[in-house]
Amino acid sequence: MLSYTIKRLIQGLITVWFIATATFLAMHAVPGNPLSGAKAMNVEIRQNLERKYGLNKPVGEQYLIYMGNLARGDLGISFTQKNREVNDIIREHFPVSATLGIMAVVFAALGGALFGALTALNRNKWPDTVIMLAVILGISVPSFVFAAFSQLMVVKINALLGISILPVAGWGTVSHMLLPSLVLGLGTMAYLTRLMRSSMLEIINSDYIRTANAKGLPQTRIFLQHEMRNAILPLVTVLGPSIAGITTGSFVVELVFAIPGLGRYFVQAVQQLDYTVIMGTTVFFGAFLVLMVILVDLLYGLIDPRVRVS
Amino acid sequence: MTAPAPPAKQPPLLTVENLQVEFETYGGTVQAVRGVSFSVEAGKTLAIVGESGCGKSVTVQALMGLVPMPPGRLKSGTAELRGRNILGTSQIDGLDFRGREIGMIFQDPMTSLNPTMTIGRQIAETLEVHLGWSRKKAFARAIELLDMARIPEAAQRAKQYPFEFSGGMLQRAMIAMAIACEPAILIADEPTTALDVTIQAQVLDLLGDLQREHGTAIILITHDLGVVARMADEVAVMYAGQIVERGSVDDIFYRPAHPYTVGLRAAMPSNNPDAEHRLLPIEGSPPDLFSPPAGCAYAARCPHAMRICSTHEPAPFVVGADHYGKCWLHHEKAAGGASMIAAAAAPPEKKS
Ligand SMILES: Nc1ncnc2c1ncn2[C@@H]1O[C@H](COP(=O)(O)OP(=O)(O)O)[C@@H](O)[C@H]1O
Ligand code: SF4
Ligand SMILES: [Mg+2]
Repeated sequence: MLSYTIKRLIQGLITVWFIATATFLAMHAVPGNPLSGAKAMNVEIRQNLERKYGLNKPVGEQYLIYMGNLARGDLGISFTQKNREVNDIIREHFPVSATLGIMAVVFAALGGALFGALTALNRNKWPDTVIMLAVILGISVPSFVFAAFSQLMVVKINALLGISILPVAGWGTVSHMLLPSLVLGLGTMAYLTRLMRSSMLEIINSDYIRTANAKGLPQTRIFLQHEMRNAILPLVTVLGPSIAGITTGSFVVELVFAIPGLGRYFVQAVQQLDYTVIMGTTVFFGAFLVLMVILVDLLYGLIDPRVRVS
Repeated sequence: MTAPAPPAKQPPLLTVENLQVEFETYGGTVQAVRGVSFSVEAGKTLAIVGESGCGKSVTVQALMGLVPMPPGRLKSGTAELRGRNILGTSQIDGLDFRGREIGMIFQDPMTSLNPTMTIGRQIAETLEVHLGWSRKKAFARAIELLDMARIPEAAQRAKQYPFEFSGGMLQRAMIAMAIACEPAILIADEPTTALDVTIQAQVLDLLGDLQREHGTAIILITHDLGVVARMADEVAVMYAGQIVERGSVDDIFYRPAHPYTVGLRAAMPSNNPDAEHRLLPIEGSPPDLFSPPAGCAYAARCPHAMRICSTHEPAPFVVGADHYGKCWLHHEKAAGGASMIAAAAAPPEKKS
């Protein structure tokens, strides 16, 4: 297990290095000089920046400087905000995104497992039909539509009741977090529901569930200890990629709900061509996702004994 | 020493009468089991033998409440364990009889155990559920049971998962699990079919030894007459959802009363290497169970088929004590019919 963990971490580092290199090359493929678009920037600052990043040097040398800074954990200084390190920006805004993302993932995983099991146990009966219809909606409708729609609904309900049951936008309290994390997790939940349904159906008809019945175990015990435990395994394997999906989705949801997260900051940085922020947050997100995927893999090893030993 | 008095004949442990099971499919209704009756006596082995698809598994799964419904349906029949109904229910007096009074093992041990639960836990949970034992006590007993099933280093093995076991070891573990609560009956549905030939004999020996030690009755399902010869006291030969012959193991091998039994015998490999024995598979295939024939189900393949065979279903003709054959050749008007079966049944090595 330990050597497996170390192996995965090394693989992860290589992946992050790859992401960093790709980001670097992509930024250099964009036409124009990083500093040419900057508005109120005097010659002194410009030269300082050029010196710091070696922007007047050949690309190869710039790459080495960039990787050197990265290795020391220095993501540089914002091009558009004075005296703001990219590290500070991440430290300030990432916790918001992480909270939103974690809530969305928990919501998606719990909902997916529960609804998926429900559809499988009621196969071809009305709960199955209704939920699977909702799943098709959840998968095909983009999250910004849900975001706008849910805001509209909450506004209507608030107006109807005369009191504010849920805030429509902003951040700060748990009630602020409910709606956006729900919206953010919805697509993933729909996908996980479908996966759980097929996984559960396979297990319900498996030989070992027949054995469990032949042993005379109570139905609740069979459901919890034999069916659920095995049925969630495929869900755990896709949890890593799901976290990536949810992170990407958060860019949009943070904008619509006016949440001060890193995603919204990233979109803003792209609009303002804030190169260091774009590169820094991209590499950071990349590293974060790689870490998540590794964690999920290790978690899978804990649940599935077949992975643990091999 | 005086000879012990012959034991008074006890009522059978399990009695099954006229069991009929159907499956509703898109293609129509499959009549998988068409009026099966048999009984099982304490401590004895009843073998149910027949080609694949003849309804052996569905018969015993119906008794255990394991037939998926729908598409399955119990059309009629009764089944009583010590006089108490077990058909269409999983309970006697509010308690699940499965695992407690009737244990069951299956054909494929590799897929029949939960892959994410240790072997020991899977055995122990039966004891926890039926006997109310603590986790610890049940696990300790699970180790003893694995040891009884001749699994070496049982204490370590109990903590392992199914994928760490070989097929033969898994089937032993299944047996340990099925007999954990010392059931009166053990149903073994093709228990050795998925195993290597060398392992098959060991598993059968284990079943036989456990039976002698605990007095368990066994319903042994197989398509292999070799297994029947080795294990059975009583035999039921099944064809197309019916029992076509029923008798003692000697009846089946030396006095067969149905041409299908004879056909099965001819298709069985001989143990005698000197014998000039050619395997003669039965030609043709079993009838369509969507619309079973009006007469004898075996008529299309039977070398002795008569006109009446395709129009009228033969009754079970009694040909000896606890021995019957469902074949028109036993009718008084089919003069010499029974001897025709016997002639066909003569083992080839005796012909010279
Ligand atoms: N779930 C099911 N749905 C439809 N038909 C079934 C089902 N299970 C069994 N059958 C049919 O019942 C018949 C008997 O099957 P089975 O008892 O498994 O045969 P075997 O003697 O090989 O154990 C077969 O024709 C099979 O196709
Ligand atoms: S009843 Fe007729 S067809 Fe059927 S087994 Fe007997 S002789 Fe053959
Ligand atoms: Mg079978």
